[in-house]
Amino acid sequence: MKDLVKKLVESYGPAGDEGPVRQMIEEEIKELADEVRVDALGNLIARKKGNGKGKKVMLAAHMDEIGIIVTSIDDKGFLRFAPVGGWSPPTLLGKRVIFANGTSGVIHTEHLDDIKELKVTKLFIDIGASDKATASENVGIGDMAVFYGPLFDMGERWVAKAMDDRIGCVVLIETLRQLGACDHDVYFVFTVQEEVGLRGARTAAYGVDPEIGIACDVTRVGDTPKSHIMEVSLGGGAAIKVKDSSLICHPALRKHLVEIAKENKIPYQLEVLERGGTDAAAMQLSRAGIIAGVISVPCRYIHSPSEMVDAGDVKACVDLLVQSLKGSMVLQ
Amino acid sequence: MQVKELLKNLSESAGVAGFEHGLHSSLRAAWEPLVHEMSTDVLGNFVAKRRGVGEEPRPSVMLAAHMDEVGMMVTKIDERGYIRFTQVGGIDPRILPGMEVTVHGRRQLAGIIGTKPPHLLSAGEEDKAPKMEELFIDVGLAQERLVDVVEIGDVITFQRDVTELANDFLAGKSFDDRAGVAVIHSCLQWLEKLCITADVYAVATVQEEIGLKGATVSTYGLEPDIGIAIDVCHGDGPGQPEDLVSELGKGPVITMGPNIAPRVYELLEQAAKDAGIEVQVDVAPAQTGTDAWAMQISRHGVPTGLVSVPLRYMHTSVETLHLDDVEKAGKLLAFFIAAVNRGFVEGLVWS
Repeated sequence: MKDLVKKLVESYGPAGDEGPVRQMIEEEIKELADEVRVDALGNLIARKKGNGKGKKVMLAAHMDEIGIIVTSIDDKGFLRFAPVGGWSPPTLLGKRVIFANGTSGVIHTEHLDDIKELKVTKLFIDIGASDKATASENVGIGDMAVFYGPLFDMGERWVAKAMDDRIGCVVLIETLRQLGACDHDVYFVFTVQEEVGLRGARTAAYGVDPEIGIACDVTRVGDTPKSHIMEVSLGGGAAIKVKDSSLICHPALRKHLVEIAKENKIPYQLEVLERGGTDAAAMQLSRAGIIAGVISVPCRYIHSPSEMVDAGDVKACVDLLVQSLKGSMVLQ
Repeated sequence: MQVKELLKNLSESAGVAGFEHGLHSSLRAAWEPLVHEMSTDVLGNFVAKRRGVGEEPRPSVMLAAHMDEVGMMVTKIDERGYIRFTQVGGIDPRILPGMEVTVHGRRQLAGIIGTKPPHLLSAGEEDKAPKMEELFIDVGLAQERLVDVVEIGDVITFQRDVTELANDFLAGKSFDDRAGVAVIHSCLQWLEKLCITADVYAVATVQEEIGLKGATVSTYGLEPDIGIAIDVCHGDGPGQPEDLVSELGKGPVITMGPNIAPRVYELLEQAAKDAGIEVQVDVAPAQTGTDAWAMQISRHGVPTGLVSVPLRYMHTSVETLHLDDVEKAGKLLAFFIAAVNRGFVEGLVWS
């Protein structure tokens, strides 16, 4: 599983340009699924057929990551850019980025009298070009870049860019691998454009029209020094979401997931996330409404180049999904 | 059931956004004699249908009032047994210190939101309201006993019974928007006395306070010809901006603006005349902040209207209204529905 994580987190796939990640995932799953298709927005939809006795379930993990998009190139070859997804400017300072074609760059700032003046508009990317013409040979307006950096393997804990939400993609792929025969008609959906407004999940949910939707995404933790108040901790197990700022999970589905975790002795924790949203919110409001919930992978330093997850938590999320799908999914 | 009795009953029940199921039984009991079908959907919207007279296809009118209330949710139980919490919907942390609350754990627990006594405030603290993350709930239990009853994600409501003020003014929690549900109740009672050709869907919607979610899915499911949201609007009072408020006891408020189909507005105006009701008019230049906003853009579009009850002290536990406004809004809606026929629906062009 670690090799798959490494491969996916190190690949390029900002919101709206997920192609390389999609191809990689498609390679992994095409032998495991009964049908694989790509919709108009680029969502990768893999179906594992049920036996007609179960429910229609959609699982969603987003392929896209946060990135930047080039807005202008000045005479000296410096690039100005806008964020794609949610960035905080201090996180960008001094970071290395890489474009789809392999061009690398570093982010730095104009001179500031006070660090509080740091805004995205003060930042630029230096790709080592001596002038506009040279820069334009490698990068054009509208090109996107993502953080650059290899996976740090710390043993039980892994650090990389784009854990949000390639680790969710890994959970779905592993679930598909381990699931075997099950009653339910399960759609494994690798969504696009989550970071810019849950947009892929919306069209995918409309197209699939499931009865139950479960997203797998990362969540914040409250276990770092002087952190905000939050009960979720890294290594504490799969987080079963109650609420985030985008949705309240269906209480019966949430309770069902808790029961499955208890029965199978899978470590879990309940999650109330005060800031952040997931694909489940888009699924919930599809058509006349869908039962929606979330299984989260606890993650430190979200939206930085160093997002940290715990291997045990990832395994717990896979176990929880597999055991849920093996059961009846009858909600009380 | 009397409108006041239902309003009091609903107001004193718990139904935080996302957790409204506790209100279904009261609605079922109240509306059972007045409608032909009742059901709930995936998100917990309560949908009652009253069939019109005459042959199908009949025009349909959806009435939507949200039954969810703003509330709080447990985020952490600390080592001394204090409960930390976040908001569900918009709550002003200034109103919280001193509040009595109910924590809906495995069983209900009474709690209070404590604060530092004035004697112990340090310089600079006196003129600052505490932030929500600094506040806590005390239920009197130590952590080891508390965790058996309460877990992360349990909801918390204001503990507040309805207070009857003089002159038919009522004060209580969650009149936003159970007053709207009471309006629908009044409307259904009036419909019994009128000849109605339209099918009426009376919907108590969910999760309005966190993004108009119930109205979004229920409107998609019901596909009505006309959608009317019933909600509360800001009432008058000292220090309120005069141009943004309506007077209590002066009748329901009808809204115009881009969220409102002009023909629906005109028919509401006409219905007020037919019913002999004075109405107040409000202009919403954009987002009305009500279920009408979601209903309007369901599927290929729904002509919408908005009827409101003026309410003072919104999103506090002492929301105040005048009972007359609730009852008159119900009558207004009934006369509106009585005027809806196939011809009206077919002529619903935007102009």
